[in-house]
Amino acid sequence: MAEVFPRLLPPLWVTIKVSFISLFLAFIIGLFFGSLNCISSKFNPINIITRFYVWIVLCTPIIIQIYAAYLLLPKVGIKLDVFWVGVIALTFNSAGYQIEISRASISSIDKGQYEASKTLGMNIFSSMIYIILPQAIKRMLPATANEASHLIKASSILSVIALLELHKAAINLQGNSFKFIELLVLQAMIYLPIVLCTSYIANILQKRNQSKSTKIDLIK
Amino acid sequence: MLDTEFMLYILPRVLKASLVTLEISFLSLLFSIILGLLFSLIALSSGKIINIIIRCFVEFTRGVPQLVQISIIYFALPYWGIYFNEFWTGVVALSFIGAGYTIEIFRNAVLTLDKGQQEAGKILGMNKYQILIYLLYPQIIKRSLPPITNELINVVKASALLSVISVNEITKIMNDVIFEYFVVIEVLLEATVMYLIIISVLISISRYFEKRLVV
Repeated sequence: MAEVFPRLLPPLWVTIKVSFISLFLAFIIGLFFGSLNCISSKFNPINIITRFYVWIVLCTPIIIQIYAAYLLLPKVGIKLDVFWVGVIALTFNSAGYQIEISRASISSIDKGQYEASKTLGMNIFSSMIYIILPQAIKRMLPATANEASHLIKASSILSVIALLELHKAAINLQGNSFKFIELLVLQAMIYLPIVLCTSYIANILQKRNQSKSTKIDLIK
Repeated sequence: MLDTEFMLYILPRVLKASLVTLEISFLSLLFSIILGLLFSLIALSSGKIINIIIRCFVEFTRGVPQLVQISIIYFALPYWGIYFNEFWTGVVALSFIGAGYTIEIFRNAVLTLDKGQQEAGKILGMNKYQILIYLLYPQIIKRSLPPITNELINVVKASALLSVISVNEITKIMNDVIFEYFVVIEVLLEATVMYLIIISVLISISRYFEKRLVV
């Protein structure tokens, strides 16, 4: 086990890279469309399209989305490295969740905040950017950290499109050494602390948010 | 634009595969409910060490990617001398994954019940197993229905991963058909629509439970 461990480190770096790049992209997409969703009316075309998109993402397994990205992108004429295909697939999946997360946290901000910024003479965009979003992002952080751990786990599925990340590398090593279970357990022991750390961070963020909001309530 | 004739031609295969998906999901959910009830009972009624062991199991099923767990079980079962076909290996893997979640669902449901219930049971002279089985568990069945249907949705999604150990469910059949006929868009669309139908129905059932059954 000890001798194959160094050979699993570069693939581990690929796993981390692919998950965090997708998390970053999905966060931005989710924030943008989530806030658009909150501003616009319910029957606005943008609103309907994003809801349809979220529905598609939540109702299909991620492996189908990965296959779809892998098989459909070349059909449209976009030929990318398999790493970037993986990034696109994971971003597609995660953006659906991020839109929901940001929509929920923006609509959880108190109505009084909007009214206060209106009386200060701000229009809807500047009140969104300067008043609402800074507060909403703070509330989004725990769910986003959970999403990070979800993405690290999901990145193992990218092995089906032959991206050399941790799981694929372990499968390849299995073919060389025929030590099936040892390699899988070793790999599980690499995933476990990373995922547990991210969900631990999510818990801490959640608790900090809660204690802050109770403090504000006490002051009131 | 779309080759509808071909889509109709492969429809029976996809429908058969979605039956396998449903079968495997319901069987694994059933087994994981049984495991969850059993282990949550053990966790609630025993001391620290057993609780830590169960906690470790739960953290393992949550912290390790499902694909890795499926491959571990796929290789570990024959290693221990247990030979199943792919279908039952898949059921074992998904029940193992699901059990981690159902244990927590049942345990949390019991812990959110009022403390007075336990005290009342104690006064009636029940021991801790009687309190759990006759007094507390009957009350949590209603409460845990919405999270259990959510868990069923997760199991259906996870069953797509069983294509890597060649269980004949929707994703595997989709792959087979794509590489048999080299038709991509039609087949992908059909598989996606199948999943959309199954999961949307399950989601509306879980919403119904959440509205009607919240105590």
